[in-house]
Amino acid sequence: MKLLTKSTLLIATLSLFLFFIMGVIFFQVLKNMSLSNLDRELGDLKEIVLDYLGDYDLMESRTIPGIDSIWIQAVGEHVQTADIYEDTLMLDVKDQQFRTFRYLQFNFAKDDSLYLIRIYKSTTPTDKLVERVTLMITLMVILFLTGVFILNRFIFASLWKDFFEAIEKLKRFETTKEPVILGDQDIQEFDELKQVLEVMTRRLANDYKELKEYTDHTTHELQTPLAVIKSKTELLIQSKNLGAEEMKCLEAINTSVHQLSRLNSTLTLITRIENRQFTEKEEISLTGLMERHLELLQEYIQMKGIRIEKDYRDAGRVLKMDQGLADLLIGNLLKNAIVHNLEGGAIVLETRPGSLILKNDGPPLAFSQEELFTRFVRDTRRSGNFGLGLSLVKKVCENYGFKINYSFDNQQHIFTVRLPE
Amino acid sequence: MQILIVEDESSLMDSMVSYLEMEGFRCERAADYCTGAAVLDKHDYLCMLIDLNLPDGDGLDLVKLARENESESGIIIISARNAIEQRVEGLDAGADDYLVKPFHLSELAARVHSVVRRTRLKGGEMLQFERIKVEPEERTCYVDEKQVDLTQKELDLLLYFMANRNRVVTKEGIADYLWGEYGGDYGSYDFVYTHLKNLRRKLMDAGCPDYVQNIYGIGYKFSLE
Repeated sequence: MKLLTKSTLLIATLSLFLFFIMGVIFFQVLKNMSLSNLDRELGDLKEIVLDYLGDYDLMESRTIPGIDSIWIQAVGEHVQTADIYEDTLMLDVKDQQFRTFRYLQFNFAKDDSLYLIRIYKSTTPTDKLVERVTLMITLMVILFLTGVFILNRFIFASLWKDFFEAIEKLKRFETTKEPVILGDQDIQEFDELKQVLEVMTRRLANDYKELKEYTDHTTHELQTPLAVIKSKTELLIQSKNLGAEEMKCLEAINTSVHQLSRLNSTLTLITRIENRQFTEKEEISLTGLMERHLELLQEYIQMKGIRIEKDYRDAGRVLKMDQGLADLLIGNLLKNAIVHNLEGGAIVLETRPGSLILKNDGPPLAFSQEELFTRFVRDTRRSGNFGLGLSLVKKVCENYGFKINYSFDNQQHIFTVRLPE
Repeated sequence: MQILIVEDESSLMDSMVSYLEMEGFRCERAADYCTGAAVLDKHDYLCMLIDLNLPDGDGLDLVKLARENESESGIIIISARNAIEQRVEGLDAGADDYLVKPFHLSELAARVHSVVRRTRLKGGEMLQFERIKVEPEERTCYVDEKQVDLTQKELDLLLYFMANRNRVVTKEGIADYLWGEYGGDYGSYDFVYTHLKNLRRKLMDAGCPDYVQNIYGIGYKFSLE
């Protein structure tokens, strides 16, 4: 989840929760206040009614200003002492609808008779008021929250701008190996981040450069002595007066030096790819490329009795890359699929829009899947290889922004290369 | 003087000279660019072997210089630089072949023979070893005038042996020559063995004695002995 989404969500849930509680409390308080107001009013009216009833005849006093309705009943004896406030429903004579009223019930004594009196006051106006106020407040809250969200987005974007820039630069570090240098920061934490990143990436870039130069020089400098050993060995074996023992020694030297020079040339190649020394781009037909390599590898395929199944659904796919690297990519993938195949196994080649899939039968990996593309990781049950083929493949893929994935399913090794347009 | 070698690494120079002299070539040495440029048109060489990385100049300029002088010698570049662009650049400058260090001396010899054949004899020469005759351009092989059907690889193998007759060639050398970038991969030594077996059988079926000797597991020798 993105930082902005997360923070917006947090603010939203928290403020909605808070506003809900506050709304409930506010509504209750408002309601209580209006009720007590009404009660106070009824209390005041009671005084007026009492005055009024003292002066006039009880039965005629049905229209007293300020009171919506009055109800008087003569009672024989004293039934109530305290005043009672109560809510009730009454039929409104004007529109024949039940409405809520608040009444005050009290005793009144006149001319030795005792009366029970209720004065009514409609609650409709106050209810309406509470309703309106609540609606207004809700609207204001919604407006306020929207405002906060929009503001949050702007503030967020401007505050975290440098942070996102740093992330982008860090992402690019993998390919450029340039130290991540950020502009001046006015936020203290970001300033610290900037300094830490700068120091760290500077050191990484430096280490990387030194290592690269080291490999570069070593592989280059090794070439001449290797050539000398190789040629001297070859001259030596032409000698007529060597016995079987000497020849055995020479064979061991010859084999080792041969391996060493192959290792060296592969490492040189990896270094050159890492140095991005392959900049030529040619248009290469993917299926044409695969067919050519199948032809070159035909002897291997026949020797192991391997079946090739082709499913070219994107037969017209063209790759824009260096010819040498394209050969390296396809050649190594195919070689890998043959070498680690079973006798009489199968290789399935599929091209789809945006991807190339190679499947081959074979026993499961003897090491963990994560190490597959690592240098010098190899199946120790086989000798004669260095475990550099797939790391070369990976380097070529990185060079062109292809993504390569490995999976093992149904006794098949599956390599998927995603080829963006 | 038949072959000019321009190479600054003296041990490597010694090896090349020794091997090529065994093949019957005479060699002139030049250890740097200046010496090379000075002797470039002293003789009409059969072939020039030029290293690109020289202490006082670029071997590529020597190649260009030789071609400007309208030298008709075959030129093979020997270089530690192994990149397609450099190969193309070298061949564009007028070289006939490009060999990457470290190489097998047997491969060098085979290339020299092939370049000499192409440039001097316009490819028309018939190679002969005892009763075997090969026309490299036609890609045909005869034993006592009778044509023998050889596969592409078998013929290449035979040519390689004929260029390195009486020499011990290693199986690595053969694999590199026959398969180039795929040489030395898993199983390629088995293929060397398979192709060699077929070649020997076909030649012997045609009535030819077995000229190939197994040398202590290190390689093979193509000779009369």
